[in-house]
Amino acid sequence: MKLVGPALKGIKAKWEGKGDIYAWVKNSQVYLKTGNSMATAIWEEYKPTPMTPMALSNEEIDAAFYYVDNYAPAVTAKKEVVVEPVAANDNNWLWLVIVALLFLVVGLSLAGVKRDLRNSVLEAEGKAPVPDLPRMQRISNWVGEHKVIVGLGSLFITVWLMMLAWDAAWVIGVYGGDEVPHYKPEQPILFNHTLHAGKVDQGNLAINCQYCHSGAEKSKHAGIPSTNVCMNCHKAVDTGRNTGKTEIAKIYAATGWDPGKMAFTGKEQPIRWIKVHNLPDLAFFSHAQHVAVGKLECQECHGPIDVQMDVAEQWSPLTMGWCIQCHAQKEVKMAGNGYYDEVMARLNGDENLGHAELKKYLEDGKITVKELGGWECSKCHY
Amino acid sequence: MSSTKRYWMDAADLNKDPEVMKGREQEFPQELAIDQVLGDKTFAGANTGRRDFLKFLGFSLGAATLAACETPVIKSIPYVNKPEDITPGVANWYASTFYDGQDFASILVKTREGRPIHIKGNPQFGINRNPGLDKGVVNARIIGSVLSLYDGERVKGPRKNVLGDSANTHEGVDWSTADKAIGDGLAAADTAGKRIVVLSNTLASPSTSAAIAALKVKHATVEHVQVDAISYCGVTGANLKSFGKRVFPGYDFTKADVIVSVDADFLSSWGPTTETTWQYALKRNPSAGMSKHFQVEARMSITGANADVRIPVKQSELPLAVIALHDAVANKTGGTAVGGGLDNEHVSQAADALVNAKGRCVVIAGSNNEGVQILVNNINLMLGNYGTTIDLDRHSMLYQGDDAAMAQLITDMNAGSIGALIMAGVNPIYSLPNAAEFKAGLAKVGLTVSCSRYADETASLCQWNCPDNHYLESWNDYMPKVGSYALGQPTIGKLFNTRSWQGSLLKWGGSDVKYRDLIEQTWQANLASHGAVAGLFGDVWNQSVHDGVYPPAGVTIPVAATALTFDATLIPTAGAAAKQAASGAGDFELTLYTTEAIGDGQHANNPWLQEMPDPLAKITWDNYVCMSFADVAKLGLNDHLGEQAPASLVTVKAGDQQITLPVVPSPGQKSGTIAIALGYGRGANGEKVGMAACTTDHNGVYGPVGRNAYPFTSLVNGAISYDALNVTVTATGEEYPIAITQTHLTHMDRHSIVRETSLATFAAGDKNAYNPPHTLPIHEDTNGDGVIDSRDKAPVAEFDLWAEHPVEGVGHRWGLSIDLNSCIGCGACITACNSENNISVVGKDEVRRSREMHWLRLDRYYSSDTHWEEGREAGESKIALYAKMEVPSSSPKVFFMPVMCQHCNHAPCETVCPVAATTHSNEGLNQMTYNRCIGTRYCANNCPYKVRRFNWFNYVSDKFAEVNPAWDDLGRMVLNPDVTVRSRGVIEKCSMCVQNIQAGKLAAKEAGTPVMDGSIETACSAACGTGAIVFGDLNDKKSMVKGLAGSDRSYYMLEEIGVKPNVNYLVKVRNSEEEAQHA
Repeated sequence: MKLVGPALKGIKAKWEGKGDIYAWVKNSQVYLKTGNSMATAIWEEYKPTPMTPMALSNEEIDAAFYYVDNYAPAVTAKKEVVVEPVAANDNNWLWLVIVALLFLVVGLSLAGVKRDLRNSVLEAEGKAPVPDLPRMQRISNWVGEHKVIVGLGSLFITVWLMMLAWDAAWVIGVYGGDEVPHYKPEQPILFNHTLHAGKVDQGNLAINCQYCHSGAEKSKHAGIPSTNVCMNCHKAVDTGRNTGKTEIAKIYAATGWDPGKMAFTGKEQPIRWIKVHNLPDLAFFSHAQHVAVGKLECQECHGPIDVQMDVAEQWSPLTMGWCIQCHAQKEVKMAGNGYYDEVMARLNGDENLGHAELKKYLEDGKITVKELGGWECSKCHY
Repeated sequence: MSSTKRYWMDAADLNKDPEVMKGREQEFPQELAIDQVLGDKTFAGANTGRRDFLKFLGFSLGAATLAACETPVIKSIPYVNKPEDITPGVANWYASTFYDGQDFASILVKTREGRPIHIKGNPQFGINRNPGLDKGVVNARIIGSVLSLYDGERVKGPRKNVLGDSANTHEGVDWSTADKAIGDGLAAADTAGKRIVVLSNTLASPSTSAAIAALKVKHATVEHVQVDAISYCGVTGANLKSFGKRVFPGYDFTKADVIVSVDADFLSSWGPTTETTWQYALKRNPSAGMSKHFQVEARMSITGANADVRIPVKQSELPLAVIALHDAVANKTGGTAVGGGLDNEHVSQAADALVNAKGRCVVIAGSNNEGVQILVNNINLMLGNYGTTIDLDRHSMLYQGDDAAMAQLITDMNAGSIGALIMAGVNPIYSLPNAAEFKAGLAKVGLTVSCSRYADETASLCQWNCPDNHYLESWNDYMPKVGSYALGQPTIGKLFNTRSWQGSLLKWGGSDVKYRDLIEQTWQANLASHGAVAGLFGDVWNQSVHDGVYPPAGVTIPVAATALTFDATLIPTAGAAAKQAASGAGDFELTLYTTEAIGDGQHANNPWLQEMPDPLAKITWDNYVCMSFADVAKLGLNDHLGEQAPASLVTVKAGDQQITLPVVPSPGQKSGTIAIALGYGRGANGEKVGMAACTTDHNGVYGPVGRNAYPFTSLVNGAISYDALNVTVTATGEEYPIAITQTHLTHMDRHSIVRETSLATFAAGDKNAYNPPHTLPIHEDTNGDGVIDSRDKAPVAEFDLWAEHPVEGVGHRWGLSIDLNSCIGCGACITACNSENNISVVGKDEVRRSREMHWLRLDRYYSSDTHWEEGREAGESKIALYAKMEVPSSSPKVFFMPVMCQHCNHAPCETVCPVAATTHSNEGLNQMTYNRCIGTRYCANNCPYKVRRFNWFNYVSDKFAEVNPAWDDLGRMVLNPDVTVRSRGVIEKCSMCVQNIQAGKLAAKEAGTPVMDGSIETACSAACGTGAIVFGDLNDKKSMVKGLAGSDRSYYMLEEIGVKPNVNYLVKVRNSEEEAQHA
């Protein structure tokens, strides 16, 4: 049994003079009964699933074939996706430590050399050399002589340590953003976002995000697709480009699909994904508000998931500061939405008062999310 | 110069006694060993020093802190095959039907990810729909029923009871075993020539009747007996004798300009309250033909509290009041008088009002005495009410229980002529007056099967317990009234291994039909018989499942009108029977009633309902003896209740029955009468009847909440009587703590809290006469008399300490308008709020400490006979006046006032929060941010309305397992996932259902339209079927709430303090000649 019908490119030319392709397209099963050899050959190759009859005119059929014959992948204008290079923090640290150690070694040896030189000077002058005290003793002597420097130094170090602790505390429980490694848990299935959602010109499939995450437009949850959504394609695609059959077999196991028999066995086992983006229970976030109303691109929060994330990771910090920073800057997309027309009408207020309210809002030339209440507690916490 | 003086501590020091000095080298002598103090050998064995202790302490603190930083891995498990109509995160609403034998309502069930979490009335269809508002009337029990779905004490599968075993162990079996054994039992009954009886409450379900008929196909002797916990045999029996129809009539209060109710609590417990409530409310608009309502009663009922004229009489005088009404009407309309009626001026007034509104009035009586009801029928007949306000063609199909048939069944059971008894929807051992006889009879029945969802009083004594589904798990159909059908559809898969009892009947009848298919077949046949199915039945069926009812809008099932013939010779007999019912000779007369929260007792296991304060007594978690203040004083009992003021216990004795209960002094209770609520005292013998039916009391004893008062009922002339006219009350001398949420009774002439007026004053149209603007003294000569004194006043609006909050005119400004005239005090809003906002149940002990968490409370005020101005003019001292004003009138007027956060634009709470956890939104909401709150409770102290609640404990924990439904995995399923579950140490309060506001705004944005008025509802406004609570956008000039807020009746509670609330109230208007005093 084949799941995909015959290729259509140049099909009209192929049928030229060999049969009535219009009748075949309109109702293949009826045309089959005429005993046409082209029709019979195709049916024999692709049966038993018949093509559904199409209520099309000849012009429409011609148009469809014209489109197929002349199809060329659209050259998409490259969209600038600003990808901040991940700062190579680890290397910097290492170099700093090495340089610091080098300085220490050089400093200590220089101190030794200096003492030797001074002792030889003292010896030459006939004075008693500086006694070779134990190192700790020397340090404590030095500390005793330089109380101000040591005091200021310790203060500086203490403050510096406190600042480090302060900064560290800010990223406790933060698993995204520039300052911490991104949360990137190992998933039960090695699902590759780039492969599925990435650009066609890079050999990827460019499936719309909301084909799978269909809740994003209508619910607070974008949703992890149920396995039946995977099966829309993977009923036919049983071999992956990178992982072969192993990972796709896990979908089959979950949904109870026997690829050999091309049939469902009824033995289902839900996939236990690991949630990547976790908001605390006290915060209410709605995808629908941001996707359907705010018209944000997924990548604005989730990063270049279609370009460089083979395994999904938490791109943004998802902290409240990050949320409200965006709310403070983003302009509300009001155009063409009757809800905001009413908001504007009320802001316009009394013309006799010179639209005072609106002017206040438009001081910076735009109405931001914050100005419409996007910074208020109960917009997210209830 | 150094001193050489030596000082000795004691002789041992002087002598340098080595033994002693050795000890003194240490700061503490060895003898102070800590093990003596602790007396614990394990401590003595430990050698942990102080430093080690501190090290461990530090380490554990650090470890705990670090461990808290680690985010747990959260699994997310999507559907394998997602149902088409479910989007995770989006609620689905399904139309269904609630019916429990007492209440009937078409409802909408909110489900999230397949879990029912909230119930509201169906705004489009059903007999409980208020067409004036497009809202469905539901009460607290109906809203609360979603919680009983998740009760962990439900029977989880078919069980075989080991009878005679004191531990009452139940043996779980599978359905096939149970079915086989029950099939054999039924066959054995057939063989022995004994009858099989199906005992249920009133079914009003065509398909359940069909299922019983299917059982009868296999077992010819099957007989169906219906009995209701609250019997209406007097009404149905009277209609049988009067008109030849054993039915409960259909009422239309929307056509009644005068309503006279003799002890019929039709707004709370008598008849189809979900229907009569909206009908009544529609006629209570003072601007559009307000009805006049007389209520004659002994106890203060919710209906009586709403009456324009309440006539308190003793229970024994109620039948005489009916006779008086009858005779007065008869004299004026040329009928036959009975004679011997009650001589009461107000009753005569009521009769006059009735006669003046012939054909536009209705008389009802709560008595279950056939004679009384025949007289009532005759009154209505004489007044020409049949065909206008009373309809015997489109009569109710509810309340068909037959007490005489039940009595016969008990006799037959004891005679051994019943081979098998199958029970559903009944609990006779709990609710029958002669439960002992039933119990004895039960043992003589060959096969006893209970389909109860709980191993309750009756089910635990049956051989088999074959648990029915919860109604939210089941298909069912109903015919609440002639010409109306309703469908119940499941909103969740079965949680346990249960089966609908109709399915069981079909199985035992040997039928392979599924109950759902049977319903479809029955509907097809029934609808065809009405000639109603014009198109395809499939379309009609799908539409009916969607609507929850048939017929849909615009379609009426024709019902043939039948002529009424009344046998006038019934009157003397009826009069005699009524007089017989009026004979009482005891110290006290007892009325048994059902409360708004608990009803007939089925819902006693529901913690939301147990914790809902009684609308009048404001008491939770108990039933009690209502007694007049005069009698309380006479018996020397406690007359003030509170946290530190317990109630006195009394023993109430009638015949050979007695129970001990606390006494609650109740304004409006007629002196010489007492009242006790039915429905309490479930599970008294340790039966598992549901989670909250039993709790641990203040003595640490685990037992039922309240006491069962059903044994006080009695069978009189074939109908159960809910009066006991000869009871004695003896004080036990003991006291009993009681959880009361409102300890004060009167509003003490504070007209900035409640305002009322009479219809005449209101109709005169002068706002200042009944709703004057609040003024404050000002240091200016405003009245122009040349002197500046306290008479110089200015309206409150002119005083403002604060800059105007910029919510007027910009964006939204959410507000509520509460009509004191429409609020009947049912408390549905409280339960709806509980359900919507995950409000914790805290239990009696916490409520007693005023720690109830309800975001919405229902304040109840009684009027007092003493008034400030009159008292001052008469020269009384202020202190004495205040004391007197605290005392309610013996026959008071009652106010119900729902109070939630008033969302003040100048909120006092916001200014005192040290961490800005409570702030104002530019939509007029007073926001509460739990994660910021540190629990100082300054806000609660600064709130003039006292609407803020503090979480003293983590109520969602096993410490509160007895009462809090949300503490375990099953109960947690009822929580609304869009609302945070609050933990210990934070303040919470009404958010005006901000989650609904946000969702409604989002829906409007997605649709690209402005927010339509009425598209967003708070839980309380959606639950208010009388339209007392209206929610909307005050900045929307066309909105209903804006219109109400600007109307003449509108005022703000405590307006003088200038907090500018977004919640306004509408003045209560009473349709009585008596001028409202000091409005």
